[in-house]
Amino acid sequence: MSDRPTHSAGAFSLGGVEAHASRSLPRLLLPIAAVGAGLALLPLWLGHSRVLMGVAVLGLAYVCYTIAFNVIFGSTGQLFLCVGALAGIGGYGGAILADSAGWPIAASILAATLAATLTGGLLSFVAVRRSLGVIFTGIITLIFSLSFDALVLGLGELTGGDTGRLITSGAGTLLRDKIPPYYLMLALALLFLLVHGLLRRSHVGWAFRALRDDEVAAELAGVDVARYRVYAALVGAAMLGLAGSTYAFTEGRISPTTFGFGEVDIVVLVMLGFGGIGALFGPIVGAVTFTIVDEILIDFGQLRHVAYGMLIILLFLRLPRGAIPTLAGLWQRRRRPKG
Amino acid sequence: MIANILDGIVLGLQFGLLAVGLTLVYGLGGVLNLAHGQMAVAAAMVVALAQAAGLPIWLAAGLGLLAGGLMGLILDLTILRPVYRLRGEARVLLSLLLTLGVSFTVEGFLNWRYALGALSLRIGGGAVEILGVPMRRGSLAASAITLATFAALFLFFRYTSLGRAVRSVIEDQEGARLVGIYPHRMLRLILVLSGVLAALVAITRAMVTPIDVHSGLSITTFALIVTVVGGLGNVAGALLAGLILGIVNAVAADLIGTYISLIILLGAAALTILTRPAGLLGVRE
Repeated sequence: MSDRPTHSAGAFSLGGVEAHASRSLPRLLLPIAAVGAGLALLPLWLGHSRVLMGVAVLGLAYVCYTIAFNVIFGSTGQLFLCVGALAGIGGYGGAILADSAGWPIAASILAATLAATLTGGLLSFVAVRRSLGVIFTGIITLIFSLSFDALVLGLGELTGGDTGRLITSGAGTLLRDKIPPYYLMLALALLFLLVHGLLRRSHVGWAFRALRDDEVAAELAGVDVARYRVYAALVGAAMLGLAGSTYAFTEGRISPTTFGFGEVDIVVLVMLGFGGIGALFGPIVGAVTFTIVDEILIDFGQLRHVAYGMLIILLFLRLPRGAIPTLAGLWQRRRRPKG
Repeated sequence: MIANILDGIVLGLQFGLLAVGLTLVYGLGGVLNLAHGQMAVAAAMVVALAQAAGLPIWLAAGLGLLAGGLMGLILDLTILRPVYRLRGEARVLLSLLLTLGVSFTVEGFLNWRYALGALSLRIGGGAVEILGVPMRRGSLAASAITLATFAALFLFFRYTSLGRAVRSVIEDQEGARLVGIYPHRMLRLILVLSGVLAALVAITRAMVTPIDVHSGLSITTFALIVTVVGGLGNVAGALLAGLILGIVNAVAADLIGTYISLIILLGAAALTILTRPAGLLGVRE
């Protein structure tokens, strides 16, 4: 069994394809603007159908989640298996503040986002402080996810338990219209991309790459690994809280499955795996592809979960750098033989 | 109260046995198998199907155990191959992601094919009184089987040369290789064993309460919690942690409610990771 060479020992790295972030601002802004312009045209095509627009809005919410996960996991290698739970703090927190406490919507979203940010920061701080490593960070955040789930089910009067709760605040406004939620979530996604892109260009981004490539070397070179990990978690968790909360208000209804582990975390893993871990535009590529595929497979019901599971296996087994980056790499190698 | 504690012990023994498979595979091969619960559920479905086909219960149970072991073997022969080529954290991470994919595939398939499938083994006869508490015969039989299995495991690891070889690999892989033990063979053996144990837990659990196709995630979760509290790679720790958490769970569920008791269990696991990363019986390195 060990007759095969062990060449792939380093093949499964967390590194993305973009080894060097572009240093010039236009080279960052132009692709984001192009992506934005392309996605902004979508309602022209699908705008007639409420169902399809709903799918598109959910797809954009997943883009946001995946970007956030990319910031935390792709940039600094912290396996946060609580994407759905952090987004859920935003969603449930915002809904409870607005409906039960009577806060204005904007203030509710802000407060819920803050709560998610602090929670994510705390998780990262604890993980870094106890130097937990990838696995224990994964287990701790998974435990947090499951606790959040149990809490949502247990606090039935506040959360609506298994059936979920309706959000009355915002009903009848633009938030529940057909098209505006799409542009709201698109704006968020583009904002997140921009923030991630700017982070990568700044000294923070260099620190991220250094600590991801070789943690010990980064530490020796004077990079405060612990601090940058917590930074990444704070930024990512803020994105999750904001996106989860905003999505909840546009949807008008949340339930445990809106933010469930199987529904959010697994899907985000597949999306990021598909687009390429650590790559700036990986989440867009992965989420858009996945949303389309998922919509096609919708009639297969439970078989979709089989498809997700196999996709995860296939992606991390054969294409650990991401499906799209690998294809791009093949294409480049063909154009430049001797690459 | 005594009834709760006895219930907790019944549950705890099964928790412990569930965690043994997970903890051995991790300690031996650095593989965290998140499909453990789904393997148990799949084995339970095999038993249910065999029973429905008219096979006697002992034969159906035997087929279930066989299916569990087979699943462990298949994992070892297929998707874990690339994992074995990695070392350290990358190895655990890849195994975690791949088995997560397996768990989804298995659960999705079972949900699709046998959405209403469930295994429930009834053991007839009236309740038996223990310490003044009437206990169902199913619970007693399940506990007896689990205890016997623990005893067999203990003897195996203590007194057989094969068991000692496994332990030597857990302690020092390179050292074991130097004295002529193949770590990979031991790992395959342990993966098969963990599959059989998962099936055994599913069967004995079905004597106490029905196991349906959706139980996979919660089984994996409990196994993971117990494994973490008991210390990764520690069989005695898994038994102790299983018993403690089982009792805590039964008592808390009765006093405060099911959801909060789950949070208490999860909190216990988080606390263990933060204060004693090597587990209850672990030795700090």
